[in-house]
Amino acid sequence: MTAVAESRGARTADTSDNGAGRAGPAQAGGPAAAAKPGGHREATLYRALAGAGAGDGRTLAQLREAALSAYERLELPVWRRSGFWTTSLESLDLDALRTSRGDSGEDAVPDVVQRTLPQRPRAGRIVQSADATVALELDPELRARGAVLCSLEDAFREHPELVARWYSRRLTIDRHKLEAANAAFWSAGAFLYVPPEVVVREPFEIVYAIEQPGIAQYGRTLVLGGQASEFQLHEYDLGEDFEGQALHAGALELYLQDGARCRLAQVQDWGSGEVFDVSTRFVGVGRDAYCHWLPALLGGQLVRQHLELAVCEPGGEMAFRGLFFTEEREHLDVFAVDLHETGPSEGDVHWRGAATGESRASFEGLIEIDPGAQRTHTYLQIHSMMLSPRARVDAIPSVLVSADDVSASHGGTVGELDEAAIFYMQSRGLDRPAAVRVIVEGFFEPLVAQLEDEPLEELVRGKLARKLAAAREDIEAYATSR
Amino acid sequence: MADLEIRDLHVATEGHEILRGVDLEVSRGEIHALMGPNGSGKSTLASTLLGHPAYEITRGSISFKGEDITEAEPHERARAGLFLAFQYPVAIPGVSVANFLRMAINAKREEPIGVKEFRTQLTHAVDLLDVDRSFTSRHLNDGFSGGEKKRAEILQMAMLLPDVAILDETDSGLDIDALRTVAEGVQRLHDEQGLGVLIITHYQRILHYVKPDFVHILLDGRIVLEGGVELVERLEREGYDQIRQEFASGEASAVAAGDGGG
Repeated sequence: MTAVAESRGARTADTSDNGAGRAGPAQAGGPAAAAKPGGHREATLYRALAGAGAGDGRTLAQLREAALSAYERLELPVWRRSGFWTTSLESLDLDALRTSRGDSGEDAVPDVVQRTLPQRPRAGRIVQSADATVALELDPELRARGAVLCSLEDAFREHPELVARWYSRRLTIDRHKLEAANAAFWSAGAFLYVPPEVVVREPFEIVYAIEQPGIAQYGRTLVLGGQASEFQLHEYDLGEDFEGQALHAGALELYLQDGARCRLAQVQDWGSGEVFDVSTRFVGVGRDAYCHWLPALLGGQLVRQHLELAVCEPGGEMAFRGLFFTEEREHLDVFAVDLHETGPSEGDVHWRGAATGESRASFEGLIEIDPGAQRTHTYLQIHSMMLSPRARVDAIPSVLVSADDVSASHGGTVGELDEAAIFYMQSRGLDRPAAVRVIVEGFFEPLVAQLEDEPLEELVRGKLARKLAAAREDIEAYATSR
Repeated sequence: MADLEIRDLHVATEGHEILRGVDLEVSRGEIHALMGPNGSGKSTLASTLLGHPAYEITRGSISFKGEDITEAEPHERARAGLFLAFQYPVAIPGVSVANFLRMAINAKREEPIGVKEFRTQLTHAVDLLDVDRSFTSRHLNDGFSGGEKKRAEILQMAMLLPDVAILDETDSGLDIDALRTVAEGVQRLHDEQGLGVLIITHYQRILHYVKPDFVHILLDGRIVLEGGVELVERLEREGYDQIRQEFASGEASAVAAGDGGG
């Protein structure tokens, strides 16, 4: 492993393009080269939401209408970073997709959900397949104490004041066509409210599943953690193995009020289908609140995730972990933001990713510290591992600091399989595939262990092991070619 | 027939011939010391015996317990009962010592080792090596001091119970207390389990604690002198240079004799 980057407290700003309205190849390379003042920001492509969302007092109907007009105006997005990175949705045949399953519509928990989710006690669960809620349960005791878990549509009807106040508070609706599509067309959705002071041991589960090709799923999740509440939320994004295209354009917003504590985990694996996932997730941490957020991005043909964790009030703390594993011809584009709007605040960002096959992954991590966020301390580290000669991981850390009494730094490593470690383990009796598995699992283990939830840890370990086994020949060919 | 038989072993790496005809036999219950200066080929021999892919055997053979293992994969040699304590043990982040040991033990077995049996063995080994119990929950060699790495090597040896162990400069970088602990551990495994040992070392130090039955001196890829523990004392007095000079002239005459006999 070699260290690739380390920089401290750099201060520049730029106006990188967000891809909204980019019309495709005709504008190749155009915007990315333009406004780039800071050397270390050269490579950045994306921009934090960093501001008010669309939910500015408009009704849901008004927001949907505004989003629809943006949807109609915009082309499918193409995001280009000068020279070496393009995330393009041009190959998505959006017009051919439909939102509903179109079958008898029986409300059954999808097989992929049954197979994947651990058997375990839980506080509640809501499962959406395509555009419909197919399962909903909530611990009656929690319900009695005021907790709410339901579809977001139902929440708009049954808890209008709560939902209207927070819906799209920080999420925008028109940065690109699929964000607009989500805001315009979402149905069912999920709403979780944990009342003040309520402490929940077992996790809530929110599940989005795509069971067949031809589906465009617009998932929309809103989560509110009341003052001093404590809870865990596990989001699952799962696809059956099928042939053909599907789309998940998701949006999640989670707001933690004073002193609330939340552990948010996400397991995403869209299966072997040609699934596109273009999603935005925003977590806002209130005064003295805490969020531990760990997405495990484990599969999808083309996945673009905008993940933003913001400390919005003084005393907020966050730990932003994440891991990804790409294989075959998958394309993963992660933009993870550690945003500090006020100080004092604490941040700690740690991601790890590995790539096999001909997959491509780009991880852009941004620390952004606003002028008012004095006494912020944060650190960003990205470690990546290449397991195939044709795979590629780009890790792009960046720091945007507008306050002077802060510490912000980043670091990371890029690695390949360590032949010395493999021989060492072989000399103890492990065969080569076992040794490779130990190395890769060991690489991810520091993050997997931070899930601090045995069933979820086992699920993620199992998925990683299966992906490694599937890539065995490729990894072996790569090793012997060096 | 010896358990480990090395016959006329020639080894090259990156186009350079390092070993130029090594013959050596090590059996269970025997302690051998292979001594030589830097660059004589000691570590090459150690790595080659376990099948390191960077070393190419250009002539000769290695057999173990009657099987030719010249071309065997490293894990096959390990499962057959060979062990190498590395000069520079490699860190395996994310895997605890205990979990790694369990994997290594299970690699040799049909049925996974029982929890209780494993615990018993581990406790025994931990006591033998005088390490803290918490040691086994740390990630293998990750952030270990030099002494801890060497103890971890012998701990693994004690758990895997090989027939023949090769100790590649296990004494380097050890303070005197650690050296004594490690050496006593090796001696006990020899005495109690009948372990065969090949101690590869530059120095005499470790041989004050582990008494070799046989001593071999390796110079420029060949074993030039063999004998008992008295060779160690001679080395201590004279150093490698004296032997090298003697050997240089001896080699000339040996070659001449060989030619004459051919």
